[in-house]
Amino acid sequence: MNRIEERLQQVKEKNEKAFITYMTAGLPDMAGCAALIKAQAEAGIDVVELGIPFSDPVADGPVIQAASYKSIQQGTNLKKVFEMVAQVRADGCQAPLVFMMYFNTVLHYGPEAFAKKCAEVGVDGLIIPDLPYEEQGQLREALDKTAEAPILIQLVTPVSGDRIPMLLEDARGFVYCVSSMGVTGQAAEFHRDVVHYLEQVRAVSKIPVMMGFGIRTAADVLPMKDIIDGCIVGSHFINLMEENNYSTETAKEYVSTFKKEMNGISCETGH
Amino acid sequence: MSSKYYGEFGGQYVAETLMNTLAELERAFEEAIADPKFWEEYHYYLKEYVGRETPLYLAERLSEKYGTKIYLKREDLNHTGAHKINNVIGQILLAKRMGKTKVIAETGAGQHGVATATGAALFNMECKVYMGSEDIERQHLNVMRMEMLGAKVVSVESGSNTLKDATNEAIRTWAKEAEDTFYVIGSAVGPHPYPRMVKEFQKCISVEAKRQFMEKEGRLPEVVMACVGGGSNSIGMFADFIDEPGVELIGVEAAGMGIETGKHASAMALGKPGTLHGMRSYLLQDDDGNVQLAHSISAGLDYPGVGPEHAYLRDSGRAQYVSITDDEAMEALAELCKLEGIIPAIESAHALAYAFKKAKTMTKDQAIVLCLSGRGDKDVHTIESYFSGNGYLN
Repeated sequence: MNRIEERLQQVKEKNEKAFITYMTAGLPDMAGCAALIKAQAEAGIDVVELGIPFSDPVADGPVIQAASYKSIQQGTNLKKVFEMVAQVRADGCQAPLVFMMYFNTVLHYGPEAFAKKCAEVGVDGLIIPDLPYEEQGQLREALDKTAEAPILIQLVTPVSGDRIPMLLEDARGFVYCVSSMGVTGQAAEFHRDVVHYLEQVRAVSKIPVMMGFGIRTAADVLPMKDIIDGCIVGSHFINLMEENNYSTETAKEYVSTFKKEMNGISCETGH
Repeated sequence: MSSKYYGEFGGQYVAETLMNTLAELERAFEEAIADPKFWEEYHYYLKEYVGRETPLYLAERLSEKYGTKIYLKREDLNHTGAHKINNVIGQILLAKRMGKTKVIAETGAGQHGVATATGAALFNMECKVYMGSEDIERQHLNVMRMEMLGAKVVSVESGSNTLKDATNEAIRTWAKEAEDTFYVIGSAVGPHPYPRMVKEFQKCISVEAKRQFMEKEGRLPEVVMACVGGGSNSIGMFADFIDEPGVELIGVEAAGMGIETGKHASAMALGKPGTLHGMRSYLLQDDDGNVQLAHSISAGLDYPGVGPEHAYLRDSGRAQYVSITDDEAMEALAELCKLEGIIPAIESAHALAYAFKKAKTMTKDQAIVLCLSGRGDKDVHTIESYFSGNGYLN
């Protein structure tokens, strides 16, 4: 079973909400990035989303754009990220890993070679924001041919409307619900009909519904708690890491606090 | 394959957020082009406001010098100084029809930005133009023009701070504001239906040229050529000739400082198929699949990709794509000034430079029709610094 599916199944059985963070691969450097993945795994992260930096991150806001740019300047590329992931797995870390990337990076590597390499090093899922459902054919074909290939995660937005059933028809892993319009990293001004929209997705989805874009703390998602199965924090986590020198302790603290608060366990009473 | 593609090229490589927006746009576009009233209005503005039709001028002294007939399709005589306005009128009329009240655009050198700001003023729409901070510095006069026309110029500081980054930012804004905002794309690029739409609104160039040439020569020309950045004037110049197999189509890209130096903008010569700005097409990219910066003395050709229909025309062999260096283009520009009294845009001078080469292989009864896509007023500073740098004027 795919690590993502397995993990989210366990979370559901415990009647808990899942938590996913996003970080740009290669920051602060490859070793530091690997350490952060492992630290979060220890703190109970459910899925780690690793952003593969691209020169033209058209679905990302300023925070992730800047992080991508910095990482590229430091020499990060797909090949090095694969090596880092292989090492993280060799070190025994089994946290589900998802690549968030742009399609040109896949095309350039070659979709079939890419699918094989992901399977080989242990990448469990893919989020490709500029590859909408209608354009997924070529990549799906490559993934279908590959044993233990990563899951292609589907994104749904507040304006997807009548496209939702189509998007979710064969979706696996989890559905990534974009909570606001536009790009990643905007403040938590959720689209006016966000609750209605999440309910719409909930009604159709056979897999966990995860909400992302613009979330900072567990309090942001508490109003939607009964509709969603968990949430994703990206830009805020990157800022937090920047401000705290990519400290593994800060990452651990943030992840465990978020998880506790989201699952209704007060931190104050914890110690 | 559906009509979203040109062979393997084209498509809609955009965020899910934009898929319904693109579907809405496609429906509105199909309805509009099936409606004679829409075309009536479009042609009214092209005639009364833009000043069409533009002449097809036989450049006599050039023709004599190079030994074949060289006809110039004078898009430089359009209002705002280039072909860009044809497309802007079409897209803004469509935006109005869709009930949008705001338009956004990307711009590199500022020509498409000025054209969009002009159209927005004409049709009373709010207008924001995204422009890289480096381009804002380099093209200060066009920034002022846009502001005089009532547009807001938004400085983009990300990546390379140039056209491709301005385009990224325009796409990001569109994803957020599509409910009341229409994105006016300036070149034959972007997700479907943009490449088709731009072709439809630039097609007037070749429809006129074909008729004008017939009237003058009673036949079709041997060669039709135009410069290619994203490819809007060239697709307009080719459009009505594509189904005329006897007509040779040539697109001229910018070789910048020379293809071998790596500082160029020839996506067709050295690019690999990739995805950028919503389309799959030839794309300049590095070993890691990141988009490479283009280089050309002409800001309008300074784009790392190319429209998907051009990629298809190249691979199918229907059109040929060649490239011309900065130096060759500047030499051709000077020649057109001196021999014909026309100061062309540096973009258009690339096509001219290749026409001079091509003419040597042709006879004096044969003819080249070349799209003189814009005038050189905008380029005088660049021209000055180029020629003084080379000691040319001394």
